[in-house]
Amino acid sequence: MKFQIPIGPQHPALKEPISLRMTVEGEIIRDADLRLGYNHRGLEKLAEQKTWIQNIYLTERICGICSHSHTTCYVQGVEKLMEIEPPKRGQYIRYLVSELERIHSHLLWLGVAGHEAGFDSFFMYTWRDREIVMDILEIISGNRVHYGINTIGGVRRDLDEQQVKHILDSLAILRQRSEYYQHLGTNEPSFVARLAGVGYLSREDAIALCAVGPTVRASGVPMDVRKDDPYGIYDEVPFEVCTAETCDVLGRTVVRIKELFQCYNIIEYLLKNLPTGPVAVRAPRRAKPNEVVSRYEAPRGENIHYIKSNGTDKPERLKVRAPTLGNYAATIKMLKNGFIADVPLIFAAIDPCICCAERAVALVDARSGQEKIISMNALKQLSRQVAAGNARKREAEWPL
Amino acid sequence: MNDQIVIDKAKASLGDKALEITNPAPRRIFIRVKVDDLLAAVGWLRNEMGFTHLATISGVDLGQAFELIYHFANNFTCVNLRTEIPRDNPLLPSICEIIPGAILYERELQDMFGIVVQNIPDGRPLVLPDDWPAGNYPLRKDWKYERPPEVIPGGKK
Repeated sequence: MKFQIPIGPQHPALKEPISLRMTVEGEIIRDADLRLGYNHRGLEKLAEQKTWIQNIYLTERICGICSHSHTTCYVQGVEKLMEIEPPKRGQYIRYLVSELERIHSHLLWLGVAGHEAGFDSFFMYTWRDREIVMDILEIISGNRVHYGINTIGGVRRDLDEQQVKHILDSLAILRQRSEYYQHLGTNEPSFVARLAGVGYLSREDAIALCAVGPTVRASGVPMDVRKDDPYGIYDEVPFEVCTAETCDVLGRTVVRIKELFQCYNIIEYLLKNLPTGPVAVRAPRRAKPNEVVSRYEAPRGENIHYIKSNGTDKPERLKVRAPTLGNYAATIKMLKNGFIADVPLIFAAIDPCICCAERAVALVDARSGQEKIISMNALKQLSRQVAAGNARKREAEWPL
Repeated sequence: MNDQIVIDKAKASLGDKALEITNPAPRRIFIRVKVDDLLAAVGWLRNEMGFTHLATISGVDLGQAFELIYHFANNFTCVNLRTEIPRDNPLLPSICEIIPGAILYERELQDMFGIVVQNIPDGRPLVLPDDWPAGNYPLRKDWKYERPPEVIPGGKK
């Protein structure tokens, strides 16, 4: 007997509108269906009617958490189209904000993971410390969410000595707190037991389904755009790609905590080697007919913009693929043969950003929704068969 | 593996199928193929060259034709496979057999451009609302949004 359980578009477990439809047998999810479109804003069409400068602010509003990711991806593409190179200091500040954004996004995710696992004090601790990085962002850019710091040809605001000192001091606190979270997140027995073995995604599936970001790295695939396709200043900054081999939600947690420490190292490097000079160059208003593929490692994974220009001050085509969209196919795979109680945790583990993905798309898997009437004995037999093939929590290894 | 190795291998393996190979920037290779050779080229990229990650499929309305760009990436470089289909007969083969993760992007193309993807495992509409009028494809250049006239329920007196 199969039931269909709808979760969403409005549901207390989901913070943004998305519709999940689970086909369940008892507690076990046999099939999952995802329907998007509740937050679709037609942004790609709108971008064709706005100028290059206006589109910076448009792309910034794709997402409320990784807003800087989208503008940076867009701006570094447009700079290639206009054949200008931003000054070194401008680039350093731009990617400094990128890494600060990664910290705030990962701390936010850690809190959400704690909350979904029923560990609410972890959630409150991480979100309290997230305020430190939000304050840094506010000091640099004047804003907490939409920083508005990117412009074509550089950044709009400079850093002074006092700000640099403030960031370095705050970073020391964050580093100390993150060490505590690393210890807690990987050693607290009930938390680890809740996360380990949940949402299994094998290495082969992660590759076949084109997953991105911490999701694919937690399945043991070292894929990071910053390393593979170094944009901006990432070819001169030392850092490591963090991976985990456990292929489950625990692995995704470990990857994100490890990445926090890499972010602190990158920021320290950037601040200590901050070049002097201007922060921006003047950009032309038009771009020659050309095309560019711009890739960027957002906190959630690879973000890709395809930009085509036609010689006017407006783009011919702006195609945006946000990381969450790339992870949906893998999420369906993770949900299948899992438990219904794990849905919020698995879904939260890709760090879904519905509004990012909602400029287009939804997805479904093959379903064999046949119903028939059977005898009680046959039903019993069937239940025994099903019980034999039931999903079990996988044997997970203690991470430390 | 750098760009030149990929280009040399593309010339050797694809031969005449690769109509044009350009390398406008480091780690950006554009290969143009005919739509009939698309599956062969995708299979070659994935199975022989190790480009397992399909980043996305971009559709562009060129007026008389639709241009489709398949953005592939691996740990070394990024290959963009480009093909064109006529606007009056927009048929495209599905690559989901080779790359299962492409399903979202193909469904998006169907919704936004009205391209018919053949052999797609699941071709239901994806992005647009259920009551979206048929034959409206928003990302086509000749499609313009017109705001429906505002009607106050009960009428304004």
